[in-house]
Amino acid sequence: MRAAQAPQLRVVTGEFYPDWEAVYRDNVERVYRLMFAKVGNRADAEDLTAEVFLAALRPLRVSAGVAEVRAYLFATARTVLAGHWRRTLGREVTSLGDDEEPAAVPADTAVSSDAPRRTAAILAQLPEPYRRILQLRFLDACSVREAAAALGVSVAYAKVLQHRALRRAAQLMEVAR
Amino acid sequence: MSGRGVRRFVADLLRGRRPRSFRAREADVDELRAAIMLRAARPGDAAPSEEFVTDLHRRLTTELAAEPTDRDVPLSASPGPVVDATRRRLVAATSIAAAAAAVVGAVADHALSGRGAAQGGTGGEQTLIPNTGEWRTVSASSDLAEGRVQGFDLGTVVGFVARTGGELRAVSGVCTHLGCRLALDAAARRLNCPCHTTSFALSGELLRYQLAVPPAPLPRFEVRETHGVVQVFAPPGPVM
Repeated sequence: MRAAQAPQLRVVTGEFYPDWEAVYRDNVERVYRLMFAKVGNRADAEDLTAEVFLAALRPLRVSAGVAEVRAYLFATARTVLAGHWRRTLGREVTSLGDDEEPAAVPADTAVSSDAPRRTAAILAQLPEPYRRILQLRFLDACSVREAAAALGVSVAYAKVLQHRALRRAAQLMEVAR
Repeated sequence: MSGRGVRRFVADLLRGRRPRSFRAREADVDELRAAIMLRAARPGDAAPSEEFVTDLHRRLTTELAAEPTDRDVPLSASPGPVVDATRRRLVAATSIAAAAAAVVGAVADHALSGRGAAQGGTGGEQTLIPNTGEWRTVSASSDLAEGRVQGFDLGTVVGFVARTGGELRAVSGVCTHLGCRLALDAAARRLNCPCHTTSFALSGELLRYQLAVPPAPLPRFEVRETHGVVQVFAPPGPVM
């Protein structure tokens, strides 16, 4: 279960948004975070977030209530993300599953993702050099040169290590799914 | 060893750049997913920038002002009982859910082909989505005012893009019968085939033909408008 967060509520579930701007203000960060977790880069996350709101706001019935509006935005986000992968890679690399749907969890806890916890769990299972190279490169934003220096290996070996570690992490994630 | 596409994708992610498109294999997917998850877990990166939030708000304001719709018309057919106006209660939850589902269908269509819910498709239209594609500029926004049409030739594909009822649509400029290049009749707002008296609407629908079997409607391109230009999703230009 997700832990309940300190509430930062602007609108309480079960109530209604006064207008589309309120819908936007209350949900833009939520949608962006969902997208960022699924594409891992700012440029795509921004474009996809924009696509969700551009597609969703016009036909949106604001009076449907906060929970329905969020469910609708989520469904739109799911479609937009699927379209993104179809366009760019031809395969659905990530998707928005039902368990991530904000309506399925109490108000405003949806912004927090359990991705960091899952990532930590995967990393913890890796052999030390694999764990460290991924930590340095992906989480600590080190260049390959910096990571190589930190590990005391050559740049070429750091690259090899990174590829191997990523493949191993991918296998572990598959098992965890 | 992972393919070049995967390595480039991961390198782009780590540099904070938009990863480039490539044709991923099934075997690549797990690794791509792992890289995204790891990168997305980097602390302090998951929130949108204030600049983006402000900018998108501005875009939405413009978009929504451009084509006012009647927001008071409920999607649900059954009007609920009148309750306290400030604290309306949810009535017909199922019909709202059904309406939301219907709208999501329309949105899916919109996201794919750049057209809204209003147009009923004839069912046969296809959207051309190349395996390897990129957004390629075909016109300045200012050259595509409401009602205007522009032809484009990207080397790999040719087509026409039009703004009708505030919406952009791009269709192939090649006749689906035997491949002759269509000519724009701007006054009649249609595309004529020089070979067999076939005509298509700017939306791609078949208007007129003198053939035994009606040719298929024109494939559409995905189309978007960004930073003052109109772009279609098309294969990269041919190598000269």
